[in-house]
Amino acid sequence: MSTPVEMPPPATGPGSAAPLLATEHVSKTFGGLVAVNDVTFEIPERSIVSIIGPNGAGKTTFFNMLTGLYKPSVGRIVFDGKDISRTRPDRITTLGIARTFQNIRLFATMSAVENVMVGQHARMKAGLIGSILRPPKVRREERDVEEKAREMLSYVGLAKSVHDELAVNLSYGDQRRVEIARALASDPRLLLLDEPTAGMNPQESDRLTAFMRRLRDERNLTILLIEHDMKVVMGVSERITVLDHGEKIAEGDPIEVRANPLVVEAYLGKQG
Amino acid sequence: MSTTTAIADPRQRLSDTLREAASKYGLIAVLLALPVYLAISDLAQKGTLTDLGNNLVLGLSNGAIIALIALGYTLVYGIIELINFAHGEVFMIGSFVAFGLWGTFGIHEGMGVPGMIVGLLAAMLAAMLVCGGLNVMIERVAYKPLRNAPKLAPLITAIGMSFILQNVGILWLGSSQASVPDLINQSHDLLTVGGVVINNGDVLAAAVTIPLVLLLTTFINRSRLGKAMRATAQDPDAARLMGINVNTTISMTFLLGGMLAGAAGLINLLYQTSIWYLQGFQAGLIAFTAAVMGGIGNLKGAVLGGFIIGVIQQLAEFRLGAEWTAVVVFTYLIMIMVFRPQGLIGEETREAG
Amino acid sequence: MSALLAGTPLKGRENFAIAVVALAAAALLPLFFDPLSNITNNCILAAAYVVMALGLNIVVGFAGLLDLGYVAFYALGAYTIGWFASDHFSSVDGGEGFHVAAGEFASNLPGIHLNFLLIIVVAVVIVGIAGMLIGLPTLRLRGDYIAIVTLAFGEIIYRFAINGDEINFAEGYKLTNGRQAISPIDSIDLPFFAPFDSAFSLRPFYWFCLVLVGVVLLVNFRLRDSRLGRAWIAIREDEVAAASMGVPLVKTKLLAYATGAAFGGISGAFLGSYLTSVNANNFTFGFSIFILAMIILGGLGSIWGVAIGAILLSFINTYFIPDVFNTVPSKFGLDFDLTILNFGIFGFLILLVMVLRPQGILPERRRALELTEGVGAGDAIEVRTP
Repeated sequence: MSTPVEMPPPATGPGSAAPLLATEHVSKTFGGLVAVNDVTFEIPERSIVSIIGPNGAGKTTFFNMLTGLYKPSVGRIVFDGKDISRTRPDRITTLGIARTFQNIRLFATMSAVENVMVGQHARMKAGLIGSILRPPKVRREERDVEEKAREMLSYVGLAKSVHDELAVNLSYGDQRRVEIARALASDPRLLLLDEPTAGMNPQESDRLTAFMRRLRDERNLTILLIEHDMKVVMGVSERITVLDHGEKIAEGDPIEVRANPLVVEAYLGKQG
Repeated sequence: MSTTTAIADPRQRLSDTLREAASKYGLIAVLLALPVYLAISDLAQKGTLTDLGNNLVLGLSNGAIIALIALGYTLVYGIIELINFAHGEVFMIGSFVAFGLWGTFGIHEGMGVPGMIVGLLAAMLAAMLVCGGLNVMIERVAYKPLRNAPKLAPLITAIGMSFILQNVGILWLGSSQASVPDLINQSHDLLTVGGVVINNGDVLAAAVTIPLVLLLTTFINRSRLGKAMRATAQDPDAARLMGINVNTTISMTFLLGGMLAGAAGLINLLYQTSIWYLQGFQAGLIAFTAAVMGGIGNLKGAVLGGFIIGVIQQLAEFRLGAEWTAVVVFTYLIMIMVFRPQGLIGEETREAG
Repeated sequence: MSALLAGTPLKGRENFAIAVVALAAAALLPLFFDPLSNITNNCILAAAYVVMALGLNIVVGFAGLLDLGYVAFYALGAYTIGWFASDHFSSVDGGEGFHVAAGEFASNLPGIHLNFLLIIVVAVVIVGIAGMLIGLPTLRLRGDYIAIVTLAFGEIIYRFAINGDEINFAEGYKLTNGRQAISPIDSIDLPFFAPFDSAFSLRPFYWFCLVLVGVVLLVNFRLRDSRLGRAWIAIREDEVAAASMGVPLVKTKLLAYATGAAFGGISGAFLGSYLTSVNANNFTFGFSIFILAMIILGGLGSIWGVAIGAILLSFINTYFIPDVFNTVPSKFGLDFDLTILNFGIFGFLILLVMVLRPQGILPERRRALELTEGVGAGDAIEVRTP
């Protein structure tokens, strides 16, 4: 695996006490609507953490703040010791956070390989003049980037026969794979997956959870999931945070969270 | 269920409100800067405000015409979120149709007032109908078939249509600006208020625009079709589920916009006493600026914007010369787009995503 | 051929081969005609428009930014040569003038006279900066608003061009010469070659322009298959996803504007020299649409398509309408000058293409999908037909 370009030296590491990502009293208001309210949250490095909650709980809004698409109205987000509350999305990717989207947002008219090559944009160096003149350095970079893209696609389990297929022509499951490959292409330290098992059958979900563990163990990745599939959540998470109406109502390991009456109430409504 | 979340930090709400107020009043300040500066300099140099007053009157009358065209833009944008690039040409065709009908209806200079009023009303109605129909045709050809295409597709098609229409103008009356009989004796001073002159033309502009705008607002607010238009503008899918025929509603919106442009075409003839195939291109951009300044999609905003731009245009013409007014107006357009795209009374748009 | 029509891109080597053959054939063309033949004149204009169309293709075709004010870059390129290779600024240095490698003839004339190659450099700088300035306000705007803002900029530059003879920024230094035109403009004088003389032969202008075309084709192909090219396509399809993948939106968009503008400026400077005059009358909105029509007709985003579209429309404009079609009305006994239908014919062509075959003559694979099936159309209109 080639050394990533422009990655800052980690302020945290396996075994260190500082979390990789932390939010401090983060809120987001849109006009009169409070989507996220005072959420303080931490992810330790090399862990798999899930965020769950009923629909409209503010989970995706929270994700969007972590990746810079929204700026928090209140509070701070700290990644690897750096305050990224007001950082642009592309800078955040360069710093080491990558994501997938709830409703797959691949570049439809690009092939799978090309999609993953775009994912490496932040790790490439060729500029305007370099792209025009194509010196040997740039040619090599292009070859390497394409090779790495194909490797990544194979890693996520995409059949070689469809590597050059247009994204719009791929099956739903394959599109999800390509999205993950594209996110991995930027050599992130933190991977955000927004409902990755949506539309999957149980076997596919199992394969994905196994894959997540591989990512954590083989590539030292930290993974944050939004999920609705409770089996997946309970099975793969080391810690779960529960949001409801934009607020954190519970947090803990799967057993604690499952037994928490507030969580049950949030999902099923008040009993009695 | 847990209780509803409390309002976020009041300090944050305050800074949001302050930012909104700053951009809104900033825009108002920029708009007022020119007239205020001129007022002060007039007072200093000439001792009276009559020049400013006269310019205001001229500007407002012109602004009435612009407002009618701007309403057309804003109606269409409100419902399909697209600029009707050919709208300016619809206005131009309105002038041409009305002018063409003067001969047919036997309208001529010096004819009696009642006859002229009837004749002109007839010409205006005819122009309105033709332009309404023309706008609907533009929708059918350029916008409807390309609903699922990228936005640039209908825009380009509309540009193609506008070029065709411009050519119709050239074929009709040639490529140079032509003068038109001054039927209503438009520069005749009707009354003078404190040194400020009000002409026949000014009265006409107000007399036609105000009722039309009132009619339009009443229609939008009271009629079934108006309600359907408002619903479709807010949420087309929900409107469809409620049983509203969205396609027809859109066509009707184009029809209304076209009719207003047709009326503006007639007034322009009488007010400017000239006609030109390029008048639509010019007026279209200026009216679009007005619509954006007021707040695109907002009817009151279009009218307000129209009057404001009319005044700005007139003041610019007075001070800098007619050849620079376009530059002034377009600079305002660019500034609004950058600093306050929602205009004066439009709504704040969501950030990112 | 069928692959081209279906929109599959060719390999780099194939493109190179086609380019060499096409340019070689084109270069031989004027040898069959008189050195001052009108056909050569039309070919020169067509080549200049190919350069511009390929420039606009970067902005609209690759990056998806609907720029309706491309004429601004043509104007700025033309005025670059108007200012720096003519006697427009005749008071410079007390009438002595300022010369840099200006060639025998021009070195003794008042005014600023820079060698044409220097002019190209200056034009690229001026126009590149202008492109970024024009692009800056559009960065957070949606598609149709970008169109209007760029249109407004184009109109503003047009007004300044027309009225520039009223603007004096120092004694004897007017901004432009308005409709009176800045004229004469120095001819092109390259090292190792005799100065071009349009009274003697048009061929050198033509061959020089073909070199420009070759360069511009190379730049286009290289950029399309590069990191930047992919970034442009990503932005066009889905800005948010692109940014989330690490593509810096502002920088990437500004590069598109600047690069596209540069081609317009170079071609504008060339035309200024070839036509030996810079007349504000040429810098109307209609010209922006003329170039836009070329890329629509040829195939939005398709490099070969755009080149063909440019050649076609240029010849329709300079040859078919005035010389061929114009004979038609008199055959019917009508006294009718078809050239006044220029506008309408172009408008009709645009309409026809968008409605019948929006992907153009030689479609580009991705754009064809977007335009015909609405795939990846990131900003399609909300209302869907039931």
